[in-house]
Amino acid sequence: MNHWIVAPIVLPAILAPFIIMVLRYHLDLQRIFSVAGVVALLGIALTITAQAAGGDILVYELGDWPAPFGIVLVLDRLSAMMVLLTALLALPIVLYAIASGWDDRGKHFHALFHFQLMGVCGAFLTGDAFNLFVFFEVLLIASYGLMTHGGGSVRLKAGVQYVAYNLLGSTLFLFALGTLYAVTGTLNMADLAVRVAEIPPEDTALLRVGAVLLLLVFCIKAAVLPLHFWLPASYANAPLPVAALFAIMTKVGAYSILRVDTLVFGPDVAVTQGLLGDWLQPAALLTLAVGAIGILGSQHIARMTAFCAIASMGTLLIAISLFTETATTAALYYIFHSTLATALMFLVADLVMGRRGGAIAPTAPMAQSGLVSALFFVGAIAMAGMPPLSGFIGKLLVLDAARDALDANAIWAVILIGSFVTIVGLARAGTLIFWKSHDAQHNPAPEVDDDEEAPTLPAPEPNPGLAFTAIFGMVMGLVMLTLFAGPALNYAGKTAEQLFTPENYISAVLGGEE
Amino acid sequence: MSLFLIAALPFLGAVFPALLIRAGRNAAASAAGLTTFLALMGLLIHIPSVMRGDVVTAGFDWIPVLGLNANFMLDGLGFLFALLILGIGLLIILYARFYLSREDPMGQFYTYLLLFQGAMVGIVLSDNILLLLIFWELTSLSSFLLIGYWKHLPEGRQGARMALAVTGGGGLAMIAGMLILGNIVGSYDLSVILQNKELIQASPYYMAALVLILLGCFTKSAQFPFHFWLPHAMAAPTPVSAYLHSATMVKAGLFLMARMWPVLAGTDAWFYIVATTGLVTMLIGACIALFKDDLKALLAFSTVSHLGLVTMLLGFGTKFAAVAAVFHIINHATFKAALFMTAGIVDHEAGTRDVKRLGGLRQLMPITFTIGTIAALSMAGLPPLNGFLSKEMMLEETVHTTWLHSHYLVPGLALLAALFSAAYSFRFVGHVFLGPQRNDYPHHPHDPPVGLWLAPAFLVVLVVLIGLNSAAIVGPLVAVVSSAVIGGEKLPYYSLKLWHGFTPALYMSVVATLGGLFLLALHRRGEQLWNALPRPEAKVIFEAVIGAFTALSRWITDTLHNGVISRYAIILVAFTVGLGYYAYTTGTIGPETREPLPIQIIPFIGWICLVGATLAIMWFHRNRLLSLVLIGVVGLIVSMAFNYLSAPDLALTQISVEVVTMILLLLSLNFLPTDTPWDSSAARRWRDAAISVVAGLGTGALIYALMLRDFAFPTISEFHLANSYKGGGGTNVVNVILVDFRGFDTFGEIIVLGIAALIIFALTEAVLGTNVRSYLLNRKPHWPQSGDSHPLMMVVATRVMMPIALMVGAYIFVRGHNQPGGGFIAGLVVAIAFLMQYMASGYTWAIERQRFYYHGTIGWGVLIAAATGIGAWFNERPFLTSDFGYLHWPPLEEFEWATAILFDTGVFLAVLGAVMLALDSLSRFAWQPGMAQEFPMDINPLRDDSKDEDKKEQA
Amino acid sequence: MEALVASAVGIMTAAGIFLILRRRTFPVILGLSLITYAVNVFLFATGRLALDAPAVLNKYEEVPYTDPLPQALVLTAIVISFGMTAVIVMIALSAYLSSKDDHIDMTAQDSVDGAGEDA
Repeated sequence: MNHWIVAPIVLPAILAPFIIMVLRYHLDLQRIFSVAGVVALLGIALTITAQAAGGDILVYELGDWPAPFGIVLVLDRLSAMMVLLTALLALPIVLYAIASGWDDRGKHFHALFHFQLMGVCGAFLTGDAFNLFVFFEVLLIASYGLMTHGGGSVRLKAGVQYVAYNLLGSTLFLFALGTLYAVTGTLNMADLAVRVAEIPPEDTALLRVGAVLLLLVFCIKAAVLPLHFWLPASYANAPLPVAALFAIMTKVGAYSILRVDTLVFGPDVAVTQGLLGDWLQPAALLTLAVGAIGILGSQHIARMTAFCAIASMGTLLIAISLFTETATTAALYYIFHSTLATALMFLVADLVMGRRGGAIAPTAPMAQSGLVSALFFVGAIAMAGMPPLSGFIGKLLVLDAARDALDANAIWAVILIGSFVTIVGLARAGTLIFWKSHDAQHNPAPEVDDDEEAPTLPAPEPNPGLAFTAIFGMVMGLVMLTLFAGPALNYAGKTAEQLFTPENYISAVLGGEE
Repeated sequence: MSLFLIAALPFLGAVFPALLIRAGRNAAASAAGLTTFLALMGLLIHIPSVMRGDVVTAGFDWIPVLGLNANFMLDGLGFLFALLILGIGLLIILYARFYLSREDPMGQFYTYLLLFQGAMVGIVLSDNILLLLIFWELTSLSSFLLIGYWKHLPEGRQGARMALAVTGGGGLAMIAGMLILGNIVGSYDLSVILQNKELIQASPYYMAALVLILLGCFTKSAQFPFHFWLPHAMAAPTPVSAYLHSATMVKAGLFLMARMWPVLAGTDAWFYIVATTGLVTMLIGACIALFKDDLKALLAFSTVSHLGLVTMLLGFGTKFAAVAAVFHIINHATFKAALFMTAGIVDHEAGTRDVKRLGGLRQLMPITFTIGTIAALSMAGLPPLNGFLSKEMMLEETVHTTWLHSHYLVPGLALLAALFSAAYSFRFVGHVFLGPQRNDYPHHPHDPPVGLWLAPAFLVVLVVLIGLNSAAIVGPLVAVVSSAVIGGEKLPYYSLKLWHGFTPALYMSVVATLGGLFLLALHRRGEQLWNALPRPEAKVIFEAVIGAFTALSRWITDTLHNGVISRYAIILVAFTVGLGYYAYTTGTIGPETREPLPIQIIPFIGWICLVGATLAIMWFHRNRLLSLVLIGVVGLIVSMAFNYLSAPDLALTQISVEVVTMILLLLSLNFLPTDTPWDSSAARRWRDAAISVVAGLGTGALIYALMLRDFAFPTISEFHLANSYKGGGGTNVVNVILVDFRGFDTFGEIIVLGIAALIIFALTEAVLGTNVRSYLLNRKPHWPQSGDSHPLMMVVATRVMMPIALMVGAYIFVRGHNQPGGGFIAGLVVAIAFLMQYMASGYTWAIERQRFYYHGTIGWGVLIAAATGIGAWFNERPFLTSDFGYLHWPPLEEFEWATAILFDTGVFLAVLGAVMLALDSLSRFAWQPGMAQEFPMDINPLRDDSKDEDKKEQA
Repeated sequence: MEALVASAVGIMTAAGIFLILRRRTFPVILGLSLITYAVNVFLFATGRLALDAPAVLNKYEEVPYTDPLPQALVLTAIVISFGMTAVIVMIALSAYLSSKDDHIDMTAQDSVDGAGEDA
């Protein structure tokens, strides 16, 4: 019996209550256990990735009830990869949260953090539509807690909006599930795929309604225009390490779109034609455009970074919306890049805000400005998709994949112009924040070197060393993603291939009986 | 040395200066110098093979999926440029060591410089156009850093941003062009692409690829109309200007045009685009240069002009022109770099670069004078210097060029440009070094230390030698490079001699020289004329455009995301309804297959109450208490409906949740304003109402359509009904589904509840940690409080009911598996039992008697549930596999046990703890001093006066 | 009967959305709980309506049973939405107490704490 599949969900589910009950009053112990938990999660993620890499799809029938009657977890390359990404993202973020003292500015940070991880991993692993809803709720409510972590009137106000908008989304999710169940009489995704494929014609109208509602829910999570409005205010006002963690939440939406559209409402399923394909691509292009414009138009670094997140989601969704195997390969590579890059950008933004506030305007110089500006430069390069970091490769992949698309010109134009605007915006922000500051003092004092601190200005973090280490870790992740792009794309390609042959998934889940 | 190493060395070396700067400026400089020297040596090793015309290659597959392979090749062209980059780089490093002042962070400087150098070498060595793109954009980035090196100068910032925007933007266009090119050929490897001239030029995408690639080249090489960024890049320290903006980076565009020459050149499109751009650039650059007073600006525009010259030659598309282009690239690199360094020296020693404040430095700085003059005369194209030779070849070629059937246009304009360039070259000499000595120099000028003049001197020596005996010195190089440019075909006849006899070119040179002197004589008048002319200031325009665009984006962003969530919600609802409708209409729907149930009178009355209450809420929503009560009514009817429609579990859950929610909302309303003011116009309200009605109709119609149709397939719940008892050991199927079939959902759900409680607790802590606490302590409640806050009857009643309620809870819990009930409902019932104590006897009283902590309760709940699940692992079953059996204890009758019960216990505890923690946290807001002293059944006389106090205050 | 349920769902949804579109936190919360009722009934009704057929197995005779699955789903949904409501109530309350303002909209100075200037 292979219990590894459920481990990414059970581990945090046990660790978090333990932290609450036993370690409630010991921050140091909380930190130790929290980090240990994330490391353990990383180990588990590596294990299951190794298991899935072989290409066979592992199914875990919870409660020992056969699908589709019980709930199943399904481990294929995609879900394994996403869980791995989650763990890889979580480690530097938790370290940074500790180093920056964010976890001490409110109660229960680590417990909520692990509950969030549980929700995300569950969403990636489950093979049951309603169970997906439950895990969405878990990760959402944990995110509500993390987003309002530490309080503060503006943050709380943003929190109200965030929660209200997402509650609408959850309601929509229930409407969708209800409709789908009422038509097909099942909740298991594989079973759903089978039944949707052979739906009698007199039921297509209602089925299509259910399908489109479901896709809309995922689009809200993925911040697709015009359903992205929840993102800027909430990410910009959340504690920025938390916002960095949220980089994975939009990916949950993208993952769900990818999963459902390859498995259930696939390209060759006649019934649900044109539900997403018709509008997702233009919407994705708009998302990228609005994101890029937002980067140039923001007056606050956190808000700007939030728009970076939107822009990279736009690029990702363009790749997804092409629905070809090559494009999906590009999308899978880009998911990794965009998650790490966005998170990196948020952490750097937190460094800046801790030192000089977030206004994109000249102010007095900051501590370790050399180091911070270097990191900002790296993050900006990654965000704008400039070489030598993985963003450039990702962009090339998407462009290359789009070349046979109908409106390849539009896609290319938007992506390239979008990155141009992004470059201009980030260059503007960077020069204003890091270079303009030298006007504040009259004598052009020597710029501190990348590896030495300005003695006069102390770093705001309790533990700057660890903070920078965490961020360097993320940078290293991007570098690795670039250097080993070949193997990474190899895996991504196999994953896309697996996604585009859903029969294996279905037969693995339903034991090939249907 | 492997080509990898040559390309990689600068990048590897870039680390050292930043680290070694502590060891002193010399250490940093020599580290940089050594790196460059090694790379240069590595390059020179390849001389024999290159001169043989072989192509050295090295490479490995990096990203095969994309066709992006790390392939490098070294042929004549690459060799020449690599030589320029590394050779001049070495000189610049030497020069910069003495040029940079003590305040400047030299470590950073050399790091950036080496990064740039590596990127440049990468460009000229890469055999894969995608790889080339990577290095291409890298040069833009590193030049951004170098131009903005003096961070305290606003010019530096703007120049850097402008350069990045223009060259980076061009690079993006080039990405598209290269991708198209690669798609045409089916490979991104240059060696393959260069073999496919016919294929490329025949392709319908040739034009697109050409234009996009040329955009990249023109922006990089500062060709008209993109020339404006280069002069502003001169805000960089002079070594940077000399290196990037005359010798190397701006030549990257030329390099690429030369690289692509074999496959792209030779068409009309190529000729008219490239040659014309080059010609115009050459002319405009030369003209502007004549009227610049800043030495570096003068040189910058002359660079623009000479780049235009080479571009034009490449544009001609003839082999001879290609040779001339190659030759001029070499010559220009030598004399222009020398001139920049000279300008730097003058600036450094005389303290100004303004021609108007200079002059007469001849005696003061003899060495500099000699160097500068020779280089300038070469730039002017005077024999016997190398500038003369390539200019001759250029003029010679123009004579044979017709532009739209006109034989005179090209030569004429070229002559004009040559004339201007002679003029500004003379001006450089005349107005800086010649003329009367002045006594108002900012510093006292004198010749610099040898470190500063060594590098330019070396270059000037080359200038002279090449001029005197070019065939011997650079002849072979030119030959091999040219053959690389023209794609290995046979070289045309050319001779690198000073004297070709009385050719048209010679006459043109003479005219140019004399005209140049003449213009210089008229310079003052010409200047007045020039200043009188209205000229667009590119920088102003650029900044204005960018500024306007920034403002526009700010406006778009802020209007789009204006923080009004009601608008976001409207968009969401409208979008959803619209797409839903579209999805519905594009499908087909069959007739109803189910008989509707008859409407009985009682449910109808219930329906009327429900609808009435709902509409009343819409109507009276501004009175918050009333609308709360109405919500309660709705919830009540909903739960009754559940019960009526044979869902007793739902009914029980709904009603108990209802009670708890109501208490929660009442408690919170206690702190919120009592009513909602009008703050949306009638029109807005009608719009909202319209949208809401549409959405309501949608959902109503949808569920109506669903209810009157059968499942398309047998539903999976038939399995649940069939297996609930034999598989799950319970007769209440709903409960069995919750704790067994879909226990995992329940597991997630109690975690949601637990998280909710934690958040509420954390928020309470956060809020009470701020000044809000004092506000809460001193606030006056909305309504005057009653005299006895704990009415006798209520206290007694609740305390009597407590055990009963607990027992009911226990009962509901135990029967849950077989009859309506279960963990949730039990948890809620017990929670309500406790809440009654809170309400009746007061928070303080209840807390004092509390024996357990809610955090623990939640934690235990989750842990027990999880443990039950994990228990299954030990008998080789998946998570949450339940087990059950029957015990028979006489005299009791058969008694059933199921691990699901244990799971349900977890649910029970989690629900109980969550609810209690939530309300407990909330009621901590209400705590005020004075409450502690009261005990249940006390009467607090003060409270009765509070009304009067209120009156007094109002009076 | 179906007509009553459907119309009730529709009306509750409409009222809920209308309240959600208000500008203060409290009505929005009420709207959310209304729409929650609506969706619960909706989800419940996807099992089709049945009278006197609770899904409690009868050992002694063959009786019709209603579809138990939607009921289980609704039960989960109810509890989850209770948690959500509690959280949003609490966040809204804290927001009000910290800013003494229960507008739900973010104003400009809320979202941006400094204006950039170009150079």
